[in-house]
Amino acid sequence: MNVVLAVLWKDLVSEWRSRDRVVSMLLFSLLVVVVLHFSLPPDAGTTLRAGAAGLLWVAYVFAAVLGMNRSFALELENEALSGLALAPADRGHVFLGKAAASFVLLLAVQAATAFAFALAFDVALLPVALRFAGIAALGGLGLAAVGTLFAAVAVRTRQREVMLPLLLLPVLVPLLLGAVRGTAALLEGASIGPAVRLLLVTDAIYLIVSFVLFDFVLDE
Amino acid sequence: MTLAIEARGVEKRFGRVHALRGIDLALEAGRTLALLGPNGAGKSTLLRLFAGLARPSAGSLRVGEADGARASAAERRRARAAIGYLGHATLLYPDLTARENLVFAARLHGVSDPGARADTLLAQQGLDGVADRFARSFSRGMAQRLAIARGLVHDPAIVLLDEPFTGLDPAAADALEAQLRRLHAEGRTLVLVTHELARACALADSAIVLSRGAVVHRAEGAVELAPAALEEGFRQSVGGVA
Amino acid sequence: MTNDAPAPSRAARWRRPTLLLALALVVGWAFAVLTAPEDSMQGVIQKILYVHVPCAFAAYAGFGLTALGGALYLWRGDERYDRLGRAAAEAGVLFCTLVIVTGPIWAKGTWGRWWSWDPRLTVTLLLWFIYLAYLLIRGFTEGSERGARFAAVYGIAGLAAVPLNYFAIELFGGRAIHPENLQRGSLGEGMGLPFALGVLAGLAVFAHLVVRRVEIEELRSRAQDDEAEAAPERRLEGGAPWRT
Repeated sequence: MNVVLAVLWKDLVSEWRSRDRVVSMLLFSLLVVVVLHFSLPPDAGTTLRAGAAGLLWVAYVFAAVLGMNRSFALELENEALSGLALAPADRGHVFLGKAAASFVLLLAVQAATAFAFALAFDVALLPVALRFAGIAALGGLGLAAVGTLFAAVAVRTRQREVMLPLLLLPVLVPLLLGAVRGTAALLEGASIGPAVRLLLVTDAIYLIVSFVLFDFVLDE
Repeated sequence: MTLAIEARGVEKRFGRVHALRGIDLALEAGRTLALLGPNGAGKSTLLRLFAGLARPSAGSLRVGEADGARASAAERRRARAAIGYLGHATLLYPDLTARENLVFAARLHGVSDPGARADTLLAQQGLDGVADRFARSFSRGMAQRLAIARGLVHDPAIVLLDEPFTGLDPAAADALEAQLRRLHAEGRTLVLVTHELARACALADSAIVLSRGAVVHRAEGAVELAPAALEEGFRQSVGGVA
Repeated sequence: MTNDAPAPSRAARWRRPTLLLALALVVGWAFAVLTAPEDSMQGVIQKILYVHVPCAFAAYAGFGLTALGGALYLWRGDERYDRLGRAAAEAGVLFCTLVIVTGPIWAKGTWGRWWSWDPRLTVTLLLWFIYLAYLLIRGFTEGSERGARFAAVYGIAGLAAVPLNYFAIELFGGRAIHPENLQRGSLGEGMGLPFALGVLAGLAVFAHLVVRRVEIEELRSRAQDDEAEAAPERRLEGGAPWRT
């Protein structure tokens, strides 16, 4: 547990000092929102409810991919990743620390983007803010979990920027389905029960699988 | 006599490149081994295998306590707890201060009271003045000293050092040599990759020369480990390969 | 801590048996297909399903084998399992491609559309992407051991994803219009045999392809060993294989 907190602290402090990841993630997802706002018809927010939810999550996924890539690119500087590999700690704990850090950063970006999104698309998020936060967090959790695992793989392949989305997207589909449908249901006033259940199941499976498999990814 | 490191027929391949071929060696606990050889011989690769950062492609390699035929995850963790590694790269985080880097490493290794340990190591390496400066601002020599501190943070029984004298001015190099002597006196097992033959002779109980992935020369005892003799053995074995 | 070397393997033994089995089944299947009655509603285009369904079985079984090979490789460290996983993936992606190609051909002929976002179609498409990503990992990684390990990890993660995908899309996704032919009695007269033979033939062909691919990999690995023995000039720069 100590290790989890140590890694989490290290990632967040490094991030705080350089503001490397969060700025690029935030700018990128805001950019996506703005570009979509200009390219879609003016009443898209009301007529394309489910579609709007999808757009928001597209922005989130792109931001997450960006952030996760950076998370491990930083570890390659000075080969710090070897430092993590050398530690006698349970590598699953290292995974949890890194995933938690990515999750925290993603939450921040999600919040800011949601705000911009609500403005741009004239979508009433405020009345459902709490439940939306819940869905966003559940989606973000799965994203962070499986994203951290795959980022550790992708960052040591030749086409590292392109590799992560290629690996991640097919596997993210159940998560995205739950998140997008849940968000859309929120906006339409429908029940979010099924979506939340799907998200919970997917998160649980992805967390466990990533926790176990991370060990094999940290070796040289 | 316990063997700290035992290698039999160890091979390492990277795709089509055959980095290490048929390495056999046995290192007793508490002894110091110098790994010598020209660039590209495979010394760093072998050291990384010892550290557990990579696994051999063939052969058997035992580092640490005597174990059964297959190492479980728990056994591997125990082995890692006993090994300290200093590689070519510093393993440091540029956005953390020197002290924070050490505290993080200490926490990773489960050291109790990481703060105190960090302070002790910083003082030992003469870095207490710059404890709160970011690692990215360090000169090569300072970074190297910090990296050494990081490698020792968990008081390892086996210390693996890959060209630790690189980037150190003569005074710092002397200090490091003294420190290595101290580690040796404390009963630790040391494996030292270096180009500095004189220091290797001064510190090592035995030496191995690698060339093109194979062991081409072994030296043991005061006679073979005198600088002139070792250099002669080195040139003959390395120069002689067709 | 001890690291030990893997033992050599013998896939060549399986080559002839699987070839004979595959040939026999394919011949039987072809005969059954040619003599099967034409579907009254769909016409002759329905016969493409005798290719489509077996390929689908092989594609999914293939992925299971890929993930299994990967898991065994991670657990045991024996290269044999990795060769099996990779061979299964390469054969599997072939069959998966066939599924995605033959499906729309049939669909255009019967539904009038090339594609629909039915759960089974979507999941198969996603499976195809997962297969490709698996192969890309191997292609883009320096050092075969690392590539094998990473691919194994991805194979296992992908295996978790496929049923999840199915479950998720079923829950939320498009209209299910992919025919549910696995129920008893839903097939027409005389169509059961070609389907059954087809599935068996497909799996046999798949098995044979896997065996040959494993064999190639074994031979390549042995050739590398011999080459390395004969030519000691290859060097490796000291230092980490991490590349930035």
